Amino acid sequence: MRRNLISFALLFSAVVSRAQGPSTQQVKNPLGNAPPLIQAGHELFNKTCTGCHGIDGGEGGRAPALGGNRRYFRLSEGAIFDAVKHGIPGTGMPNLGLSDDEAWRIVSYIRSLRGVALDAAVQGDVEKGMAIFQGKAGCVKCHMLRGEGGTIGPDLSSVGAQVTLAHLREELTTDLPIPSGFAPVTVVDKNGQRLSGIAKNNDAFSIQILDEHNKLHTYDKKTLRSAVVSQKSLMPHNYDKTLSPQELQDLLAMLSRQAKTKVHVALERENEEGR
Amino acid sequence: MRGLTLLLTMGLTAPLCAQVIGKQLQEQPGANWLHYNGSYDSRRATTLDQVNTQTVSNLTPAWVFHVPGAGNLQCVPIVVDGVMYVTQPNAVYALDAASGRSIWEFHHTGPTADRGANRGVAVYGDKVFFSTPDAVLIALSAATGNELWEKKLAEPEEGYWSPAAPLIVKGKVIVGVAPGDRGLNGFLDAYDAETGKRLWRWDSIPKPGVAGNETWAGDSWKHAGGNTWLTQSYDPELNLLYWGIGNPSPDFNGDMRPGDNLFTESVVALNPDDGTIRWHFQFTPHDVMDWDAVELPVLVDASFQGKPRKLMLHADRNGFYYVLDRTNGEFLHGSPFVQHLNWASGLTPEGRPIRVPGVTPSLLGTKVCPSSIGATNWMSPTFNQQTGLFYVVALEGCGTASISTETFRPGGFQYRATGDVLLRDASWKVYVRALDMATGKVVWENERVGSIGLGGGLLSAGGLVFSGELNGQFIAYDAKTGKTMWHFNTGQSINSQPMSYAVEGKQYIGLSTGADIFSFGLFEPQKPLDLRTVPVAKAGKP
Repeated sequence: MRRNLISFALLFSAVVSRAQGPSTQQVKNPLGNAPPLIQAGHELFNKTCTGCHGIDGGEGGRAPALGGNRRYFRLSEGAIFDAVKHGIPGTGMPNLGLSDDEAWRIVSYIRSLRGVALDAAVQGDVEKGMAIFQGKAGCVKCHMLRGEGGTIGPDLSSVGAQVTLAHLREELTTDLPIPSGFAPVTVVDKNGQRLSGIAKNNDAFSIQILDEHNKLHTYDKKTLRSAVVSQKSLMPHNYDKTLSPQELQDLLAMLSRQAKTKVHVALERENEEGR
Repeated sequence: MRGLTLLLTMGLTAPLCAQVIGKQLQEQPGANWLHYNGSYDSRRATTLDQVNTQTVSNLTPAWVFHVPGAGNLQCVPIVVDGVMYVTQPNAVYALDAASGRSIWEFHHTGPTADRGANRGVAVYGDKVFFSTPDAVLIALSAATGNELWEKKLAEPEEGYWSPAAPLIVKGKVIVGVAPGDRGLNGFLDAYDAETGKRLWRWDSIPKPGVAGNETWAGDSWKHAGGNTWLTQSYDPELNLLYWGIGNPSPDFNGDMRPGDNLFTESVVALNPDDGTIRWHFQFTPHDVMDWDAVELPVLVDASFQGKPRKLMLHADRNGFYYVLDRTNGEFLHGSPFVQHLNWASGLTPEGRPIRVPGVTPSLLGTKVCPSSIGATNWMSPTFNQQTGLFYVVALEGCGTASISTETFRPGGFQYRATGDVLLRDASWKVYVRALDMATGKVVWENERVGSIGLGGGLLSAGGLVFSGELNGQFIAYDAKTGKTMWHFNTGQSINSQPMSYAVEGKQYIGLSTGADIFSFGLFEPQKPLDLRTVPVAKAGKP
């Protein structure tokens, strides 16, 4: 009984302490997240934080590269603000004596690094980027934008709202793993009939393939002699070599603005519990 | 090099495969299930018979697909050549119909809260069509899920949404809207399936100068309801589109809209070429109980009173079962299919209800049977040509209905002028009833024990009637006798309509439950897999 009372008291105090004020997770950036604020935060970041986190948060010799692909533990604006404003006790992250406004500007920039490309206010000529997409870069042969284009690759109508700018740049310039549902595959059935296409799904027992005529085929693997899935992407990843820097920037600017839906975005969760 | 060849051929080749042609849409369902209701006549009767009264004891789940985040699925799976399309609000999923594995999914950004269900897709050519909680009609590539075009049907800010699976008629996408409980006037639209261009709109509430407007006193037609929220029927031979229309607004206070209130609570026959109306039949003139007449018009050619006729069978939410001549809307028969019916003493020779004075919603409350839920609702009936029976989910129950005065507010607010308290006493019961098609007499019935709501609809297959219950039971009855032949506890509320399809000669029964898509097939013992013959995915150069 006594143990129960103590448990209750602890639980009660926990509830009361949580109820006393908004947690850092609930605090929102009072300055908003408009592009000019992100730009101001960017400039301030590169004056204040680069010694440890690197230019644009991209190096991180002495502290995490905030712009890199990593698992973040401070997700909410409030939690990032707390670290920027007060430092992180027990680590090399100091209290820099920033004003609240300065800290919030930096928060808006850090959030933009992790946010989708749409939020990154990418510089470049969107119209020229579209012309490159449809012409020189040949993207439209495989990718669709708002109902126009090929189907071999992912529909990019919402790509700006689905991936970060860093990821978008990497896709164009680095040999990344093939996204799920777009790996080339060739199957041979028991009659020796061969079919090549894209594996939309694949497990030990069945495989679903989109062929070159835009027709879907579904197979029970018991009926197949072989199924060979390629790990070589059909996507060229050398646009930093085949396009000029300005052309690549224009293409990035155009793609970053493609946003019909945000449903697919792996949104950063404001709730850090359970991590 | 092979990869490059593939890249070039796939990238440069326009879609070649028209998966569904108009002729297929006119066929009775077999391996494919191409319409929400299975066929244009909405009989929901498969021609497949592998699953039948002799074999159903071996029916077992073949696979389950969990729809992420779903809790109240109401879609009817559509199957084309081994690919199944299912939905939840704002999302479409393409599945391998034999294995249940996902092929693609599509998501639309839009509101979901308080915007009802999505009841599935329509298919035509190489496209899949569905509509959304923000009243947008979207065309997708059936092969990839890529969005091809979208059209706004109505202003979602006004409160409109679009839950029904579209119906394809002669290359047009026929699509309606909901709700009718917020003073929003309904309409039915037709869009060119290829381009998305709107071809016609039929207003279910006639505007001034249009026949039927005189059935609305004063300006009451302006906020009048009459929505088009369930996929209905089509007769290719007569070239008539039959659509059941929803309730008038405000739902319960008829004093605010004197008159018959056309075309609410009616079935209308439209010319699908131009959207003009040919005839109508109103089941509940001047309805005051929210008895939407969207229950399916089931089209049957049969001898009626010794004469071959083109019939329409319809069990209405108001408690009466109707037989109409679908060439002209002539009333042929009407009789109650529930015992708890106190608002009308019968029907006139023309089919108009003979109202019992005083049995209408009142300030102090009046007991009205059926309740506003209705004697049945959107859960599909089915018709079996062999038994000649019409099967319907029936609710015996009453409500205490009251009225208020209410002012219409723009913005999608409820505009009901009160409602009814459901009297869920011992008499409140749900049944599956088999009605004699010509007389409406109950031939057999089975209670949905433990179900306090209507639940899912029905399917005719192999001399069986499949029935999904709100309490999660999925049941097969002998269509002749009503004897329970098979049951399976899905563990989730069933609020949708079963369907059937086949892949590689194997028949399946498909069903969406609360959060999952189930597919059932006859039991086949699994054999140990021989690793020498099971292909293993290997890395290789394209």
